[in-house]
Amino acid sequence: MSGDLRTIRALMGRGLNEILRVPGGAIPGVLAPTIFMLGLSAAFGKAAALPNFTADDFRTFIVPVGMLQGAGFTGAATGVNLARDIEQGWFDRLMLAPARRSVLLAGVVASACLRCLLPATFLLVVAFSLGVDWPGVGALALGALLIMGLAAAAACYATVLALRFRTQQAAPLMQVGTFVAILFTTAYVPRELLSDWLRAIADLNPVTHVLEGVRQGFIGDVTWAQTWPALVALAGLVGLFGALAVRGMRRQGR
Amino acid sequence: MQYPGPIAAIEVIGLERRFKGAVKAVAGIDLEVAAGEVYGFLGPNGAGKTTTVRMLVTLLRPTGGQALVAGFDVATQPADVRRRIGVALQEAALDPLMTGSELIELQATLHGIAPRTVRARGAELIERVGLSQAAGRRVGTYSGGMRRRLDLAMALIHEPEVLFLDEPTTGLDPTSRLTLWEEVRRLRDEGTTVFLTTQYLEEADQLADRLGIIAAGRIVATGTPAALKAEVGRPHLDLVLAPGTDLRRAHEVVTRFGDHRPVADGCHLSIEIARGAGDIAPILRALDDADVAVAELELRQPTLDDVFLAKTGEHLEGSGNPHSEAAAELV
Repeated sequence: MSGDLRTIRALMGRGLNEILRVPGGAIPGVLAPTIFMLGLSAAFGKAAALPNFTADDFRTFIVPVGMLQGAGFTGAATGVNLARDIEQGWFDRLMLAPARRSVLLAGVVASACLRCLLPATFLLVVAFSLGVDWPGVGALALGALLIMGLAAAAACYATVLALRFRTQQAAPLMQVGTFVAILFTTAYVPRELLSDWLRAIADLNPVTHVLEGVRQGFIGDVTWAQTWPALVALAGLVGLFGALAVRGMRRQGR
Repeated sequence: MQYPGPIAAIEVIGLERRFKGAVKAVAGIDLEVAAGEVYGFLGPNGAGKTTTVRMLVTLLRPTGGQALVAGFDVATQPADVRRRIGVALQEAALDPLMTGSELIELQATLHGIAPRTVRARGAELIERVGLSQAAGRRVGTYSGGMRRRLDLAMALIHEPEVLFLDEPTTGLDPTSRLTLWEEVRRLRDEGTTVFLTTQYLEEADQLADRLGIIAAGRIVATGTPAALKAEVGRPHLDLVLAPGTDLRRAHEVVTRFGDHRPVADGCHLSIEIARGAGDIAPILRALDDADVAVAELELRQPTLDDVFLAKTGEHLEGSGNPHSEAAAELV
């Protein structure tokens, strides 16, 4: 294993360490998407009966949204943790390492990619036990890959803010970014039922493509036509926020 | 010992750091640290010590001047500098959820040390700083002294050429402070260059081969502790007079023995004397002849605080000498 990979693995291990040693701290983040799914299903479950609604069961429609939310929250939490590390001086230790800044960022982000599987797994277990349709192993694997990518993008976005503001007080900004990005998609109703202005935003929003990619298997089959836009959208998000985050790390101390 | 040596571990020319609002924390300093020496960087809080260190270790970009550490420019070759330095900053920033061993291994990995050597080197360092018993415990349970020692071990994991210690003993109890001092001496004996910032006079005096004194972002004095002290003057004789003694009369007597005006405060008299201990007996005889009774006396060699006072007109924080604060109204 190369030195860069060892560095990434070591930093990823530190990120996961927090969950293993303070499991109580992770509970809110793990539970939130499931509570969200249960609450929304109870409140708006009958929306599935509307004409042009693409799912028979609202829960099946909303589960992928919960998976994305879990990824978004995990990414935001990565930024909050980094801001804490900056406040407490640990980040200086990281910056004193001779490793490339992109490698250090990759280590921080990689832990977010893995941690986002925790809320998604809990959500899916609850959802399947409540009768949500089984999407198939392939669809789940693709969904896992896509939410890991979204967690990476959200972690990079939150890292940019953490490096800019250098305080945990920037946490609301980190969280609201991913929340709004998911809100203005086809999260709650199919595209056909969105009002015109919202549909226009959802069409432009790259997260819509990620969401539709994750929905495959839950609603309809997995197709390449739905998959590649999700991958391209993620590549763009990770590329953009990753580049900004690396730039932010390189500019530290100026 | 001759300083600076032929190969400088640190070379700084006109180094400057200006923060937003045009605050100059470091206002163009020059210094040179020879390979293998312990360089003490002494100054009060806010003098610019930490800003200087942060620039030298590549955490802060200079806004002017140049600094070479281990032969590499901190501004243009930061990765090369980082490979060659060890750093223990003022606050030992350690993850409280990790154990001492885990942190050492993480630090080794961050510095690209091969996995096969990580454990052996880590265990050796942990033993060296006396943390073998606690290595498997979470750092959150460590005392301040243990955290500092672990921080030092982490800074040494990649066998750095230059070690930066930023106020390593601030807040430590005397025992922990002495343990750290011993370790610094051992590192010097092994040939490691140590750049040590401190606000403690005794620490600088005890550890540093050479000193730079910084005040208000500028280096005001540099040299060996002995040379700096010799530069500012001769020994002082401090006298505490018996109650009821005529202080003015005592002042007139001791004035005959010193080049400088004696300083009097309450029942204290302090005078700079030329011959050190050789002057004590004649002064005491003269005071006795004048019916001036002396309760206590102390021959005091110049201290680094005297150096600081001479160079800046102020005492270092926490090192004030009440005897030397003139009671101008009397003299």
